Amino acid sequence: MTRGIIRRSVLVLAVLSCVSWGLSVSSVSQAACGAVTCFVVIGSQQQIPQEGLLTFNGIYNYTPMRLLSGTNGVIPAIDQAQRRLILDHHQEVRTVTQTFTFDLNYGITERLGVEVTIPYMWRTHKHIDGLGEDGPNGEGEQTRFSADGIGDMRVGLKYNAHATLSSMVVLGFGVYLPTGSIKDRDNTGEVMEAPTQLGRGQIGLNPTIYQTYELIPHRLNQFAFGSYRHTFRNNDGYQFGDEWLLNIGANLVTVPWLVLTSQFNYRYLVHDNMRASLFQSAPPTPGGGIEPTELDPNVINRPVPNTGSTYLAFSPGFQISMDGLIDSPLTKMTSFYFYAQIPVARDSNNNLAQGTSFIFGITKSFQVLQPKG
Amino acid sequence: MRHRATGLVVWGVLLFIWMQGQSIESLAMGSRPPATGMAAEDFALQDLSGRVHRLSDYRGKIVLVNFWATWCKPCTTEMPAMQASYDRIRDKGFVVLAINELEDEAKVREHIAQYKHTFPVLLDKDNRVANQFGVFGLPVSVFIDEKGVVQEYIKGGLLTEQKIDDIVARIQKQEPVKAASIR
Repeated sequence: MTRGIIRRSVLVLAVLSCVSWGLSVSSVSQAACGAVTCFVVIGSQQQIPQEGLLTFNGIYNYTPMRLLSGTNGVIPAIDQAQRRLILDHHQEVRTVTQTFTFDLNYGITERLGVEVTIPYMWRTHKHIDGLGEDGPNGEGEQTRFSADGIGDMRVGLKYNAHATLSSMVVLGFGVYLPTGSIKDRDNTGEVMEAPTQLGRGQIGLNPTIYQTYELIPHRLNQFAFGSYRHTFRNNDGYQFGDEWLLNIGANLVTVPWLVLTSQFNYRYLVHDNMRASLFQSAPPTPGGGIEPTELDPNVINRPVPNTGSTYLAFSPGFQISMDGLIDSPLTKMTSFYFYAQIPVARDSNNNLAQGTSFIFGITKSFQVLQPKG
Repeated sequence: MRHRATGLVVWGVLLFIWMQGQSIESLAMGSRPPATGMAAEDFALQDLSGRVHRLSDYRGKIVLVNFWATWCKPCTTEMPAMQASYDRIRDKGFVVLAINELEDEAKVREHIAQYKHTFPVLLDKDNRVANQFGVFGLPVSVFIDEKGVVQEYIKGGLLTEQKIDDIVARIQKQEPVKAASIR
């Protein structure tokens, strides 16, 4: 069996607040990273596209997770099949998640928008399984996991509650759909643990708030984005902990086609919870082969140790508007962006911690319907 | 307990951010465009020479209030048409008030001099008049009749000489407002 460390999904977004109906290219984006979370505010994804404007985003995200120094990565095993939580049964090594997110934003009215986010994920994970049990001295055996596929899709509505030329507040509400697999297996043929699967196996609710203000009109703007995600318990008895995100940053328009961004990203993850009985692994011992001891046979809701984390990152980045560089139909309302998310402070609870992540993206908008007026 | 405290802190910060700079009135009303057929609220703004222009000063004329900025391509694209119409029909009671939004006065002055615009250019330095007219994207053009009533509210769409002439002619004939333009 395995254990994973990882978790969560992502959200992200955007900024850049050009308020011109005709000029502004809504560069939108969101990255969902499954177990790991990359959550950078990227373009104007949080904003409402102009009425009748359809914006496509393609975002690639690379997010590695490794152990922090001073931690050993020994965590419990999640046994969904037998509803067991086995303490100290795994030792985490690393996880790498790559996500390509396809994101669509459409302005239904000038203030109301709809957004659909479809993540496609590649995840590799490595850990040592069966501490006290497997291996000549109970040191466990290395297990690998690799999977790819669609993660949990998100569908949401956004409303511009306070619209002026210099500021806006956008309220959003999204629903995560359980479209990601929760039955992928590791190299030993066992079903991988819930936190490492591509999906969560249950619906999630996701209210958001985005705010931006033009400090120096059309030159420098600040933004903030907050998000809360609650996922219900899935059929395996596993419930991902609530996720709180807060992003604060600023965009500087240097020349019309180049915008520099800096932002701080904070994430707080509540402990996961599992409906399971409780077992304890034996410590590695010469000879090994010691079965975990049953501590509590009652199948009840239990917080999962070593889940939950706190993460603060600094994310510099830039956005290039092709519209301002090359005058052609292909580059119209098109932009590229790149961000690096650099950890500043991490408390991973003796689990794997998110390392420096990278995000590349492209945004392209199409005026599907002409706004009235 | 720790979770609840963190949650409260996060939402507290978000609420603070939202409240900053927001007046009670703006929270309640947002920034909404005036409906066609309603009286336009009066305003007073200085032009580039420091002279104060009030909307009510132009009662008896058809006024095109145009919200614009130099960085806004559609805005600067439609300004020559506004100038041409202004030159042609200003003697027939047509006025253009081009309201610049949130830009440096020197930059506006340079732009106006470069394109030789002669209609009054007003400076809305604190975004107040734009908010009054529900403007949160540029350009926006508002046609106001001789009685000070909003007859047309155009967002984003480019103004042409023909379009301006048609709207002015329709207002002069007192034709009913087209349903499509009611917002």
